[in-house]
Amino acid sequence: MPARNHNQWIAKPPLQQGEWIDSRIYSEQGIFNDEIEKIFKHVWVPVCHESELPEAYDFRTTSIGGEPIVICRGPDNEIRAFLNVCPHRGMLIERRPAGSFLEGQPSGNPKRMTCMFHAWQFDMKGNCVYVAREKEGYQDRLCKENVGLRRLRCEVKFGGFVWVNMDDNPSQTVEEWCGEPFECLRESLDAEPLEVFHYHKAIVDTNYKLWHDTNSEFYHDFMHYHNRITGFNDAYFARKNFAYKNGHVVVGTFEVNYENYEGFESRAELSFPKLPPNQWYMVDLFPGFNFNLRGSALRCDIVTPLGPDKVMIEFRGLGLKRDTPEERITRINHHNSIWGPFGRNLHEDLIGVAGQGATMSPGTEPRRILHGRHENETIHDEIGMRHYYDEWGRWMNRMPSEPDKAYAPPAVAAE
Amino acid sequence: MSWIKLCKTTEVPENSLKKIWAAGGIPILVAHYKGGFRALPPVCPHMEEPLDESGIIAGCVMTCTKHLWAWDLATLELQGETEKPLKTYETKVEDGELMAFVEKELLYDFEDEDDMDDDAFFNS
Repeated sequence: MPARNHNQWIAKPPLQQGEWIDSRIYSEQGIFNDEIEKIFKHVWVPVCHESELPEAYDFRTTSIGGEPIVICRGPDNEIRAFLNVCPHRGMLIERRPAGSFLEGQPSGNPKRMTCMFHAWQFDMKGNCVYVAREKEGYQDRLCKENVGLRRLRCEVKFGGFVWVNMDDNPSQTVEEWCGEPFECLRESLDAEPLEVFHYHKAIVDTNYKLWHDTNSEFYHDFMHYHNRITGFNDAYFARKNFAYKNGHVVVGTFEVNYENYEGFESRAELSFPKLPPNQWYMVDLFPGFNFNLRGSALRCDIVTPLGPDKVMIEFRGLGLKRDTPEERITRINHHNSIWGPFGRNLHEDLIGVAGQGATMSPGTEPRRILHGRHENETIHDEIGMRHYYDEWGRWMNRMPSEPDKAYAPPAVAAE
Repeated sequence: MSWIKLCKTTEVPENSLKKIWAAGGIPILVAHYKGGFRALPPVCPHMEEPLDESGIIAGCVMTCTKHLWAWDLATLELQGETEKPLKTYETKVEDGELMAFVEKELLYDFEDEDDMDDDAFFNS
């Protein structure tokens, strides 16, 4: 195949619409801003796991679509989410990533969220309980009842993940949104309480969708040294990608023969409840959340887009809450050997998406990204991405292949 | 319950506060003001602030330094903008020991408003 000149390079590929996309959707600030408004402020986001707020008054802070969020557990044991913004002058109320409101902060009091700027205070239900010198300044024109926090839709589901939606009236409940793809994992995740044992985050110079793409196709097995030398076999390749409504994909299950992997051992003994030994499941949720159960350890990766070429990814590993210390050590070892910073796959995935981020940074020439592999919907078929980008096009009302045009169904249906 | 020992009077100097874990695991704040002692629940009735950390006594007046609620400990009168009275245990001194009459732990009521059902809340 000869090299191509500029005109040849920018010509449309000999594939159908829907089998390739325009790289501007990974690099343009305007499209990114649109994604925040049209997608991230309306979808359910699994912001954390309930085991990360085990006690009453525990909290975590995060953000969705650039808006700061605080999630806390009340004395009634309910987990609630609020905009982490003071109704007075817009100050960020809680600055710590996580902690407890049980002990008072230097400018606050026990059991309340306090805005340190002017000492306004809020309880775990978001009620405003104190306005400093209220009557002196506001007389009877404004009172505590007028200045509660903004509460957000929040549900705890699918093994204890905390789902928050910035839209007060989302078109679907969490169950309607992703209950079907979670069906394959539901019994295992809900059999008994889970607990986060691993957390780290990375800020990667790439677009969040490029990260999600690596979870939606396994053709990049060729990058994973360990997969290449030990994993390729008929059962491995026979797995299918199953497309679900709302842009989600489930990768078909298979049994992993860990004994065949140098340095690995069977995970049958510690496999999750109601899970056949050593089974493997992966659920990819639109627009960027991944759940992967590898027998003994559950992994959950959540994206927070920070810009067209910047994404924060939070990585969590989970086991069973009732683990003995010995079981927990083994589970962590199983988790880290695949997904730790020096594990089998994670660093290679990050190299891949960082390389794409480098070639598609803002201002680079638009180019075409091919999603046209058809291989009977198995793991090297790019159906996962075609399904995802069709959903993206509908939320954005843009053609992924020509993002300045309004959405129309692709010539090749998303299957 | 009945009269229980809290501490020796010499353990709490004038113009100071000390939190004691009394018999039965009840936390009691001993306040030594000019001319006497008070035995109180250990938190401010305003925002549950621990008064052994944030309370100060000057003469007869105890002030919570978080939002400046204050009480005259001799008369229990509310000072300035203070909106709620203190609760107190009866005290006496016997053989240098400060005693309090404790029937049950005294607690303040803190507001805890009820939630609405999610759909009612978000659609209102």
